[in-house]
Amino acid sequence: MKTFVCIKRVPDTSEAEVKVDATGKEVDSSRFSFDINDADNYAVEEAILIKEAKEGTVQVICLGPKDADVMIRMALAKGGDSAIRVEDPRIFAKDPLQVAKVLAATIKQEGDFDLVLTGCMSADNWNMAVGVALAEELGVPHAAMVNKVEVLDGKVKVNRELEGGLSEVLEVSLPAVLTIQTGINEPRYAPIRGIRAAQKKELKVLGLDDLGVAEDEVSEANSLIELMQMYVPELESKAEIIEGEPEEKAEIMAQKLVKGGLL
Amino acid sequence: MGDLFVLAEHRQGELREITFEMLSKAPEVAKELGGDVVTVLLGSGVDAFAEKLAAYSDKVLYVDDPLFADYNSDKYQKVLAELLKTHKPDVFMVGHTTQGVDMAPALAVELKLPMVTDVMDIHFSDGKLSPVRQYYSGKVNADFGFKGDPPYLLTIREASFEIVEGSKQGAIEKVESPLKEDLDYRRFIEYIEAEVGDVDITQSEILVAVGRGIREDKNMTLIEDLAKAIGADICGSRAATDAGWLPHDRQVGTSGRVVKPKLYIAIGISGAFQHLAGMKGAKTIVAINKDPDAPIFTEADYAIIDDLFKVVPKLTEKITELKG
Amino acid sequence: MTEELQSFIEKYDLLGCIQCGRCTGGCPVTVRTDLNVRRFVYDTVDEEALEELAKMPEVWDCTACNTCAVRCPKGLKPVEVLIGLRNIMVESGVVQPTVRDALESVFREGNPWDKSRATRNDWMKDLEVKMAEPGEPVENLIFVCCTIAYDPKLQVVAQNLVKLLNKAGVDYGFMDTSETCCSSEVHNLGEEGLFEMMVEDNTELLNEYAAKRLVAISPHCYSVFKNQYPDLKAEVLHYTHLVGEILEDKKLELTRELPEKIVFHDPCFLGKQNNVYDEPRYVLGQIPGAELLEFDRSRERSLCCEGGGGKMWVETESKKERLSETRVKDAKELGATVLAVACPFCVLTLDDSLKAKGFEEEMRVAEILELLGEALD
Repeated sequence: MKTFVCIKRVPDTSEAEVKVDATGKEVDSSRFSFDINDADNYAVEEAILIKEAKEGTVQVICLGPKDADVMIRMALAKGGDSAIRVEDPRIFAKDPLQVAKVLAATIKQEGDFDLVLTGCMSADNWNMAVGVALAEELGVPHAAMVNKVEVLDGKVKVNRELEGGLSEVLEVSLPAVLTIQTGINEPRYAPIRGIRAAQKKELKVLGLDDLGVAEDEVSEANSLIELMQMYVPELESKAEIIEGEPEEKAEIMAQKLVKGGLL
Repeated sequence: MGDLFVLAEHRQGELREITFEMLSKAPEVAKELGGDVVTVLLGSGVDAFAEKLAAYSDKVLYVDDPLFADYNSDKYQKVLAELLKTHKPDVFMVGHTTQGVDMAPALAVELKLPMVTDVMDIHFSDGKLSPVRQYYSGKVNADFGFKGDPPYLLTIREASFEIVEGSKQGAIEKVESPLKEDLDYRRFIEYIEAEVGDVDITQSEILVAVGRGIREDKNMTLIEDLAKAIGADICGSRAATDAGWLPHDRQVGTSGRVVKPKLYIAIGISGAFQHLAGMKGAKTIVAINKDPDAPIFTEADYAIIDDLFKVVPKLTEKITELKG
Repeated sequence: MTEELQSFIEKYDLLGCIQCGRCTGGCPVTVRTDLNVRRFVYDTVDEEALEELAKMPEVWDCTACNTCAVRCPKGLKPVEVLIGLRNIMVESGVVQPTVRDALESVFREGNPWDKSRATRNDWMKDLEVKMAEPGEPVENLIFVCCTIAYDPKLQVVAQNLVKLLNKAGVDYGFMDTSETCCSSEVHNLGEEGLFEMMVEDNTELLNEYAAKRLVAISPHCYSVFKNQYPDLKAEVLHYTHLVGEILEDKKLELTRELPEKIVFHDPCFLGKQNNVYDEPRYVLGQIPGAELLEFDRSRERSLCCEGGGGKMWVETESKKERLSETRVKDAKELGATVLAVACPFCVLTLDDSLKAKGFEEEMRVAEILELLGEALD
């Protein structure tokens, strides 16, 4: 099995105060902590598990800045064979379709493959689109939000996690792209000695020119969508305090839960 | 001047709510576009669905073919691509659901459609369509615009629009499926319902979490009643598992499990930061605690500052009533 | 492979063990779990058995309190054997997710709590804090500790120290957000590679500050700096050393009466590991109006709170009473109104147990600096 796994470095903003920066189109990330995207971490583990069971190679691909090298090295320490990091300021990373084009070009340059795994969603952008778009760019079948993979002869049997505890079992021919849902496995720990040993593994850094991708295919100016402005919505950052006597509070809350579609 | 297409979503013999949520917003959007609301339905033996959808649409375009007995993104993509090329609507709305996200991005690539995903609201500025989506744990919103040519593809977040009962009498038009034979590269096998048995709280969609505020084992029945009423699993803080009120595999926090349910109701939990670290990923958090300064409220979306013994039984009662 | 395994015997001097059983006999967690440390010292002599032994869940029950080492007549460190076994699991990548996340967080952000490095000094907000600069001579370089810096419940400890030092007019300085986890718990969790790296990086960082003394607020930081950082230039102190000195030199007077009955719980990493017993008691003794009580089990016989040894990230699956609960009950029986501690982990474990027992009305857990803050006003 020749597998590619795509990873991304993302900020953890779940507890952080988020402010829009001077451009009005991005946030100030100076006080964030960063990690590998959660779902991508599971994708890495799944790729390694497949390699351990079926032999083959795992190549890590990451579109991101030099700071992402830590996450790449961790993936290599866990069992990845080599890595490519694509960095080019001309890429408009807020458009998932542009990102998919870059990743597709990177994979195509490396030749044939059996499987490409991505996380099903990035924690910063929430598009859930890159993996499926990537499959289309590569001209191969796909399955999104996969929470079980079984490699068979020339195909994979996968479970897709649907809403409400339901799963869908599919068979998808190889080569294919799967977007991996969190919880599919338990990602291992990359010990520091392993990370140090992984320094010997190849990590190529490429730009658009190396990939033969024209700037106007992936730039902000040529994206079909335009991020006009980012802003912190009012009220939503704080808890809504439910007022009244205990019974009234219960009533209001029950309304919100039932009518608000939370249940 | 163009139509608004909406993809009807259904599974296991039922139209899914997202369909009606999109269709409830659709007339407003179609009016701005100066076109019709056209619902696209693909299925097998779905005449009744088409009838039902006509009440929300100016037109229902539907394919009724055994090849569409079960959802298959690739088959959908093939048919939808043809329909979009033929009818050239201005906007195409698809649910941002496990069906939608498995199909829409590939369709966008194939037809080079401008696409904005996970849309939670739709505005028009100067007559131009402007979808709103979120970034960074939902802490910032972003307004988008389109530069390319329509159709514009939007995937719509669930529960973004309130359902309004439809009163239209749209035309129903059955169309021939351009897909003539089954696809061999992606095959639906079966559906699997979630296993019952030992609960894995990391996989739970709804959690009721209990802390030391519940005080005694015997008070756990209050929590169990609520959990039952809303179909939740029960988990707790370290204090709760320590006290033996819950097994250890139900502990949420840095020394227990990290959970990411859709709904987390924290009851009598003050919210030690070790606990908060285990549940901060929950989508919606309701906190019930009598201490207004309890740190749990900093993470909560809804805060009930009151005695849990007074609030929880009433909450269970009201929810049961409302759910009928 | 064989070479590495042989070094396990050599590293922990396993053949020196006479199997007297004093280690297990004194081990505080045996009342709650199946951990038998003597047995591990015996069994790990068999190289072939190491990997299987490492997988036993009891390996993670140890709180690294050091009682076994204190009691060993041959001067062995049985606790380190368990940490060595943890290392085997860590190197294999198979550890509990909570342990994995804590270790990764130390590696990426310099703290085990998955917090952003950039927010490490947010506790200083609205305070006048003197900052140390690399190369600038400073008498006391203060090392805060990740848990105190980030846990809102404990930040008051560092804040009160700042107020106290400002009032006393002593020369001190805090570090900017480059302060990085001391990695005491990284060692205890068995991540040797990360620990070595952190010792190297921290030594270089701390030596850049021209500090005469390095004052740690947490006993865990204090202990590791003192015993496992051989190349630190500064003398290592616990804050009770410094505060004791300030009070003794009358640079500061505690004026406000605290009519409390205070019993001091000796943190393992201060007491058993480093023989610091008198300083905290001296400091508490300076609080006007306070009456000091003593536990029956105090000083070297003090009962562990189960907060160390990586236990903040590993739950012991036992239905039996927590040691911290026993401790809280003992304190209540003594008639104490304050259970005083000098360690962030002790605060967390004991305070949890106090609330679990429902003793909030009659007693509270307080870090010494919390009490000093009250006595200063």
